[in-house]
Amino acid sequence: MSDVVMAEIRKDYLYHLMLKGERADGRAFDEYREISLETGLIRKADGSALVRLGKTTVMVGVKIQPGEPFSDTPNKGVIITNAELVPLASPSFEPGPPNEVGIELARVVDRGVRESGAIDLESLCITPGEKVWIVFIDVHILDDCGNLMDASSLGAIAALMTATVPAAQYALGEDYPLPVKDVPVATTAVEFGDSVIFDPDTDEESVADTKLTVITTADGSICGMQKSRPGFISQDQIYRIVDIACERAKEIREKFLEV
Amino acid sequence: MDRMDRNVVVPGDILSDDPNRSGEGTYVKDGCVRSLLYGMASSYKDKMRVIPLAGKYVPSPGDTVIGTIQDIVFSNWIININSPYEGLLHISELPRKIEMNEMSKYLRIGSSVMIRVKDVDSTMKVELTMNDRRLGILTRGRVAEINPTRVPRLIGKGGSMINMLKKELNCNIFVGQNGRIWVDGNDDDMDLALKTVLIIEKEAHTTGLTDRILEFLRVEKEARS
Amino acid sequence: MIGMDEKLSFFKDGLRLDGRLPDELRPIKVEVGVLARADGSCYMEMGENKVIAAVYGPREVHPRHLQEVTRAIVRYRYNMASFSVEERKRPGPDRRSYEVSKVSREALEPVILTSYFPRSVVDVFVEVLQADAGTRTAGINAASVALADAGIPMRSLISSCAAGKVDGEIVLDPMKLEDNFGEADVPIAMNPSGEITLLQMDGRLSKEELQRALELAKAGCQQIYEIQRKVLIDRYSHMDDMGSCDEVVAEEEI
Repeated sequence: MSDVVMAEIRKDYLYHLMLKGERADGRAFDEYREISLETGLIRKADGSALVRLGKTTVMVGVKIQPGEPFSDTPNKGVIITNAELVPLASPSFEPGPPNEVGIELARVVDRGVRESGAIDLESLCITPGEKVWIVFIDVHILDDCGNLMDASSLGAIAALMTATVPAAQYALGEDYPLPVKDVPVATTAVEFGDSVIFDPDTDEESVADTKLTVITTADGSICGMQKSRPGFISQDQIYRIVDIACERAKEIREKFLEV
Repeated sequence: MDRMDRNVVVPGDILSDDPNRSGEGTYVKDGCVRSLLYGMASSYKDKMRVIPLAGKYVPSPGDTVIGTIQDIVFSNWIININSPYEGLLHISELPRKIEMNEMSKYLRIGSSVMIRVKDVDSTMKVELTMNDRRLGILTRGRVAEINPTRVPRLIGKGGSMINMLKKELNCNIFVGQNGRIWVDGNDDDMDLALKTVLIIEKEAHTTGLTDRILEFLRVEKEARS
Repeated sequence: MIGMDEKLSFFKDGLRLDGRLPDELRPIKVEVGVLARADGSCYMEMGENKVIAAVYGPREVHPRHLQEVTRAIVRYRYNMASFSVEERKRPGPDRRSYEVSKVSREALEPVILTSYFPRSVVDVFVEVLQADAGTRTAGINAASVALADAGIPMRSLISSCAAGKVDGEIVLDPMKLEDNFGEADVPIAMNPSGEITLLQMDGRLSKEELQRALELAKAGCQQIYEIQRKVLIDRYSHMDDMGSCDEVVAEEEI
């Protein structure tokens, strides 16, 4: 569907609120919407998580299957991340293969899992050069009310942390929990005027000049970043966002991903 | 016998066994009046009718609506009127004469307008007009959206609800038939007005709403002062 | 894994492997209005099947050449999530999902008053989050509720379920195991008067068995219809002072 032009009167209102230090739904600039997380709802998956971030709803399913390793990493398992922006989730999503937004989303989710070292790929080797475990992370967006990056990333790590390697099914020993060694959490902010707003909703995303996602690990280091939207961002602003991102990520990790 | 009188009904529910009583939102099958909609059934002037609980705005001549300029094509503005059908505002339908090359100066893409449906043909081509002094460009205030099926409730009998709101809230409020509401006043009043509008939308199908809204406003205003 | 050559017993003391009687549906759970962005939506579980349906529209048709001047077109997209089945499914449509989408659309289209909305489209999207035989029927049931929720004018709801033949016996609403090793599967959809809008069959049945299967499936659809209707009615009866809507009607005259 073609995107509807946002009324200027609505943009003016959001801008006016921002100048007063307010948001349309009453949140503080660095405040997240309510988060809920349920795991294990999809029994056909080896791990799954349903995330609600406000009204944004994302289902992540993890499937683990034996397959061939890449030839340049013969003793390492494989992670494949995919995101489906199905047209059920928003009037602006269209059927068809993933577009650049879906591909970017999948790649940022993947980056968090991969770069944090959350999954020890070497432990997923079954027979070097021949057979390794392939971990498929499938992100299924169900309701897009903004900030898909954070909701999807949270869903991915929660699904992985509750996933089982289905070894028995393939006569490769007993089932065992997928070892997860770190807990990456993504936090996203948009810059609007000179203000930084965390966990943007769809309206805030559409008026924003710049968006920045910061993925942090359990020890507080940064394992992935992504700036998107065609705007500028200053170095100072980046540091400011990173500082708050670390705090928010820590809270989310403690509340939802307590190991 | 009207088994479903004054009730929530789903499509296909039997409303009456007298086919002559088929009203708005109903159809007749096998001699029975049945509902075409998920909505509230009631008896009105000897007919059974169903008022939907959800649905899109379908433009009808004479409706006043709030639109957003989406595009400018030849001598028409293409206007989103919160409907499956976009509206066309021809350059000749303005209160004053302007030239083709002035169109985007007069009404930019993204501008909001209060506008009237002039004509709708059988293929749902919707012609709009702004040629009335009560219509025009909205430069101030705020616009909210509610489900168009709740508009009659927000207006109330003879305008009772909306007039009460205007008086109590000290705001200028305009309700478009397409479910877009424009309010203008000071910030606090507008906040309360929009909050109230959303409550009315949510509770449109309940009784005693006007009294409850009055009470709600009294409590809110007391808390504010 | 169970080999095809092994003789499986699908009944024990007259009950099926999951403890159901031959004419019993799996447990059903329904929620309406579950998605914020959609115009109408419904989440449904039928046994281990978990589906979610969204309706968008009537809305503008893109691309425009698909527009019909006198009526709305209806589009239906059935899609399975990659993680919804045992072996991960490649994302995106395959030949099976195109067929399911087509017959599902044709199951619902007869009750939709498309002439009310010329040149527009009613989009129905069904996502299967978990599959366990019977996803198309679960999808149609959820879609029907979502269409009502979106305020689309319809002559009635549509209800859908399947009957199958397992171990020589006709059973209602086969689950995955029964479907995989069963001898026939007959999914149907119908309106509450019993007029059928979807009928497919694969396997092998005698005329008598077909008759028995249709009777069972129809009885199943009637039970599902009551559940669909109830979830819609209950959505607006949680208000404590809903006794009558005199005032609604009175105030509506403007």
